[in-house]
Amino acid sequence: MSHLLTFRYGGLVLEDKRSWPVFVPIANAFLPTQALVLLKQHQGRASRCVVRVGDLVREGALIGKADEGGAAAIHAPVPGIVKDIRPVRVSAGGPCSAVEILLQGNFDRLGKREERYIWTSMSRTDMIQTLRERGVVEMDEPGRPIVDMLASRKSPPILLLNCIESEPYLRTENAVLHECLKAVLEGLAILNRLLEPARTIVALEPHQEKELGEERLRVLSGIEAPVELIRARQKYPQDLPNQLLAAINGGRKKQGIGELFIIRPSTALAIYEAIVLAKPVIERFVTIAGGSIKHPAVLKARIGTPIGDLVEECGGFLGQPEKILLGGPLRGQPVHDLDAPLTKQTGAVLALTSEETNRSSKVACIRCGRCADVCPERLLPVEIYRRLDKNRTEDAHAIGLSSCTLCGACGYSCPSRLALVEAFATGQAARELRR
Amino acid sequence: MSRVTKTLVGAAPHIHAKQSTASLAWGSSLLLVPAFLWGLYCFKLAAVLPVVAAISAAILGELLIGLARKAFTLGDGTAFLTGLLVGLSMPPGVPLQVPILSALFAICLIKGAFGGLGANWMNPALAGVVFALLNWPAEMGTWKWPSHLTGVVGVSGASPLGFVHSKFATEAGGGDALSLLGASGFSFSGLDRSITAFLNNDLLGHLGVSLPSGYMDILIGNKAGAIGELSGLLLLAASIVLIARRIIRWEIPASIFASFAVLVWIFGGIPFGNGYFSGDILFEVLSGSFILVSFFMATDPVTSPSTPGGRILYGLAIGGLTFIIRRFGSGAEGVAFAVVIMNCFVPAIGKLELAGRINRTETLHE
Repeated sequence: MSHLLTFRYGGLVLEDKRSWPVFVPIANAFLPTQALVLLKQHQGRASRCVVRVGDLVREGALIGKADEGGAAAIHAPVPGIVKDIRPVRVSAGGPCSAVEILLQGNFDRLGKREERYIWTSMSRTDMIQTLRERGVVEMDEPGRPIVDMLASRKSPPILLLNCIESEPYLRTENAVLHECLKAVLEGLAILNRLLEPARTIVALEPHQEKELGEERLRVLSGIEAPVELIRARQKYPQDLPNQLLAAINGGRKKQGIGELFIIRPSTALAIYEAIVLAKPVIERFVTIAGGSIKHPAVLKARIGTPIGDLVEECGGFLGQPEKILLGGPLRGQPVHDLDAPLTKQTGAVLALTSEETNRSSKVACIRCGRCADVCPERLLPVEIYRRLDKNRTEDAHAIGLSSCTLCGACGYSCPSRLALVEAFATGQAARELRR
Repeated sequence: MSRVTKTLVGAAPHIHAKQSTASLAWGSSLLLVPAFLWGLYCFKLAAVLPVVAAISAAILGELLIGLARKAFTLGDGTAFLTGLLVGLSMPPGVPLQVPILSALFAICLIKGAFGGLGANWMNPALAGVVFALLNWPAEMGTWKWPSHLTGVVGVSGASPLGFVHSKFATEAGGGDALSLLGASGFSFSGLDRSITAFLNNDLLGHLGVSLPSGYMDILIGNKAGAIGELSGLLLLAASIVLIARRIIRWEIPASIFASFAVLVWIFGGIPFGNGYFSGDILFEVLSGSFILVSFFMATDPVTSPSTPGGRILYGLAIGGLTFIIRRFGSGAEGVAFAVVIMNCFVPAIGKLELAGRINRTETLHE
């Protein structure tokens, strides 16, 4: 059982896993005195605001209603008064409407004994309706609503619990497994019931195995569905769908094994809480880390907490961070300031020093081919970049731009520090626009 | 949270590998220092002046080109490296206009005129060396003996490779390269005698083979030759670091060596009047600029292919061409010309690389 699986082509072996402890302290964050709740915390368009300034909202009350596919319900993470509804700018992209809630009043959940609902006797329609009402989405990018994911599948898929965090610093899913293993597995069992998958797989990093305990994983309790374990080598980007598929298939992607239905432990936990505890998505685990953070930790925090508060709880900054990110260092989003709020998709808040970023000024491409060496999709990033640089977008697509998953392995490796990922994202968006 | 004044919001990825284009170039330069120091020990001032002249000319050229484009590019280290490589390829005591004009040619015409770093299709340093070989064949073929062997600075003599190859035309049927050298009064050093004796008595003797005198001198660099090309030993040691630090990839030098060695082994004995499969691989590989060019110049990323398969194809072709040029060419040297010729085929190899990747990607994504 010691055999580690991975994908065959390219990839990065990043040093983080050796230099950084696998487990960091886990704690509950303080409640935010002012929560800023974005009305778009999902892939689709923003939800419709159903509260007005001055309204008193209870903990978990609906404040954003999903009117269309791609959107999900948004709930008040804390009880209080709606102080303001205003557009805010977070990271890249346009402004997004947000509801500001001033903490006030009584908690309906906090400190109360949790009531448990027995889901095994619930009907499929009831469960889906519950998931919709509780605003359950993927707890990482792109944040598709779970009900949309369930509706769009065609054949019986492979259900895959993706515990792998192949970007450096991230310890969120580790913490979720550590703290809430039973709940995660029960969430997986609920999905198993809804999907009736051909196989159910748990993809792990080797160090997580102890956490799970093997006898516990042979079957999902409650439904007695068999579970397969896949142990993956620590190589970036092992956590992306194509590379997970390759690991399952012993290196190469192959056709005909069916589609994957991938969820994170955080998402499984949200599903469990929505169905079993009747709880909307109002909090999540988040890694606060990076060289500029005094005491890195994983915090369980309310959605809408300003990331500055979370950083303060970890002892504040050590020196001046060069970059502050929401998400991992390879695929995350940079933010301008510390007022940016925690969202359902924010798995990490990182503050990186210049020693960590290794930034240097862009120089000309020397065609060294390091990007081609590491590309997990076996593309030639250098050639795609040259075409995009000359505005030959269609030529770039002809040599595989559309297969690029924007994992950033090429950009990480480029000694000339070309903005490869930025160019590829723009090139892909340009084609989307034309369609 | 007022302590954070300004953070950057550039695009992902937000972390990078330590290597930068500048660190690659400066790293290569640093690893050439031991070879230069050996040249300095052997030739004293005659080694310093050409190298300093070539580097100064390269830097001046880069500054002039930068002035025209309003860009200061000396920091990327590539101009310094080009100058250093041109200088190290010069014979000691060469008239200084040779390295100066060659380095200017390399930087201003080969690199600058095509658009600077990354846009040139020919390796600037090698183009500079070839420029010198074509324009000053006499000066580029005048060698000196290391001063510690002769006791006097500046005794001129033939390089082993040049000498042996010059005998091809006149004296066929003379055994092998080393005995030809021995018979013509090339005296091998005491160091060579003692190392060879040690190897033969204590190691190789047990295997039933013996190493003739002379190889150790050629390996260590006790011979006449260009300033930075003398010591194969030091260059090989530096090359191990080059590969281990991932400054260069192994495919190009390995495949140059593979095809060249096979051809030398099969056909290399014929000019000496011996049969097939009797070539002296060790002598040919350790002589001339073979090691310096295969590890430090043919591996220039700008002018070599971008995928492992492409690099192997490129290296095999260079090895083959080197053999042909050394065997039939007018001069003794061949590897510099071979690389410059193959530089022209890199775009064609690029098309093959792209086709290979696209086909394979398609089958992967079906």
